[in-house]
Amino acid sequence: MIVRLIYSPEVVEKPVLAEVILKSGVPINILEAKVNAQKGELVVSIPAKGNMLEKIFDLFKEAGVKAQKFTKILQIDYEKCTSCGACISPCPTKALRFEPDWTLAFDEEKCVACRTCVNACPVKAIIVP
Amino acid sequence: MLSENGKTETIRSINEINEKIRKGDAVILTAEEMIRLVESSGVEVAAKEVDVVTSGTFGAMCSSGVFLNFGHSDPPIKMTQCWLNDVPVYKGIAAVDGYLGATVLSETLGFEYGGGHVIEDLVSGREIELRAESYGTDCYPRRHIETRITIDDLNQAVLLNPRNCYQRYDAATNSTDRILYTYMGTLLPNYGNITFSGAGQLNPLCKDPNYETLGIGTRIFLGGGIGYIIGEGTQHNPSAGFGTLMVKGDLKQMSNRYLRGSSFYRYGVSLYIGVGAPIPILNEKIALTAAVKNEDIFVSIKDYGAPSRPDLRPSVKKVSYADLRSGKVEIKGKDVPSSSLSSYKMAIEISEVLKKWIQEGKFLLTAPVERLSRQTVVKPLEIKKKEPKVSEIMRINVITANPDDNVKEVAKKLVEKGIDHLPVVDGAKKILGIVTSWDLARALASDKKRLEEIMTKKVITVLQNESIDVVARKMAKHNISGVPVVDKENHVIGIVTTDDISKKLIEGKSTI
Repeated sequence: MIVRLIYSPEVVEKPVLAEVILKSGVPINILEAKVNAQKGELVVSIPAKGNMLEKIFDLFKEAGVKAQKFTKILQIDYEKCTSCGACISPCPTKALRFEPDWTLAFDEEKCVACRTCVNACPVKAIIVP
Repeated sequence: MLSENGKTETIRSINEINEKIRKGDAVILTAEEMIRLVESSGVEVAAKEVDVVTSGTFGAMCSSGVFLNFGHSDPPIKMTQCWLNDVPVYKGIAAVDGYLGATVLSETLGFEYGGGHVIEDLVSGREIELRAESYGTDCYPRRHIETRITIDDLNQAVLLNPRNCYQRYDAATNSTDRILYTYMGTLLPNYGNITFSGAGQLNPLCKDPNYETLGIGTRIFLGGGIGYIIGEGTQHNPSAGFGTLMVKGDLKQMSNRYLRGSSFYRYGVSLYIGVGAPIPILNEKIALTAAVKNEDIFVSIKDYGAPSRPDLRPSVKKVSYADLRSGKVEIKGKDVPSSSLSSYKMAIEISEVLKKWIQEGKFLLTAPVERLSRQTVVKPLEIKKKEPKVSEIMRINVITANPDDNVKEVAKKLVEKGIDHLPVVDGAKKILGIVTSWDLARALASDKKRLEEIMTKKVITVLQNESIDVVARKMAKHNISGVPVVDKENHVIGIVTTDDISKKLIEGKSTI
């Protein structure tokens, strides 16, 4: 599960993520981080499901950090897409790949919404809603 | 691996193949099917059984465009300038004829829209804004026209592409520490990825590398319609195995599935085109080449970090299309992701569509009236006008400082000498850093003492044989006003500032 964590100015200096990891025992991985004295925004990958995932969401809530699930990060318009592959190797998380029949496939759970593929697509077939 | 050369005795003629196509008896395989047949049954059997192998490729082909005839308005106009959806059309031909190139940018939308997109819109039947200007003549009194057209309104729309279908194409990577946006797509820093183009084992010219069946007059699949090879393409380089084709076809019969306008981020626009050619299996030798596999087709991976002309870009590694298609290639001990810019899926589709056309008797083969050249040599463009080099404008009496120098004394030195840039060097004059008058002003304000504490350690430098044009672009990119000139061992031998460059410009001798 890819999640965006939004830190308010009040909690930006607290080690919230480290505490959640210690409390839950789940090795949360930071994919992207924009932090300054005013606010912080992290994109993290949480390798957990069901109750554990809910518990982690509760822990963030208690600590004053807003956790947003990443859903429909980007969409591929298969009317436009030619399955050329120009987006595949620039993708830093290997979220784009070929199916065995060379059709472009997108693994949403690997995507970190960096948008490198949006620029790399020559026919503007990748849309960020 | 195909080791033998194959026999050249004629097994069948093109006329015989066409006769079989008419009767519905011809055996047609796509290039992929041919590869599998040769692998399972051998080339002798394949050559005997198979009449035609169909190839295909689908990729960005910049050297493409369309000849248009708009018809005459009343009163008529001799169009001297013309735009379709704000994209300029070449008007150096007759009054209402024009050529729209695939790479022209829209004057209003820039990189977002261009010639390739207009061609896609035309073939899709969309309405296009036509605007044209003229100076007016006795026979063509109108000076301005604005109207809307569709492809059906045009008398002719002929796709005529000076260079399509590169036999193979060198792959691209990037050794620099910044992301590069190129016609080979997005290239991540520090060999972050590899991009490549071409259908490899499906490419028409790879299936007939001796140009025995593909030549002037060969009927082909072009953009979803019928087209013809009309000669060797520009930059045709047969001896190196980089042949190209010049092709034409009626745009009115083509389809927007196989003609796609495209934009390469921060590079420009182009047109993705589908091309497919039938390879008649006239003898065993052609059967062998028609079964060539990705494993047997090699290209270099070029470093696009070097600002040199394409053939001089350093080659990082030689690889096969099979290596590139595998999704990763090892460079300097690291697995680097590789991906294509051309669509292999569409290339397969084109080879299948062409197969179907032939099977249905809709597409007959033609013998070339002339073969493609196997001698053409590609020449670079020599710069005959002298271009000013750094060595001509650099100042050689460089004032330098040492890292241990006192900030205050250095500041004094700058004021005395009236300079703004001070390279910081070691005892052997090797560059360690640079300080500017601005750095010093800030240092004095913050009470720092030693030069080392305030100097910029990542120094942008130039070599004395670099052209001033390149150096000016380097300074603009890094937003700096002076660069030390160093030798190969990083010893400071001079300095160049923007002032020096502008002085050279004022002299009027420069060509920048």
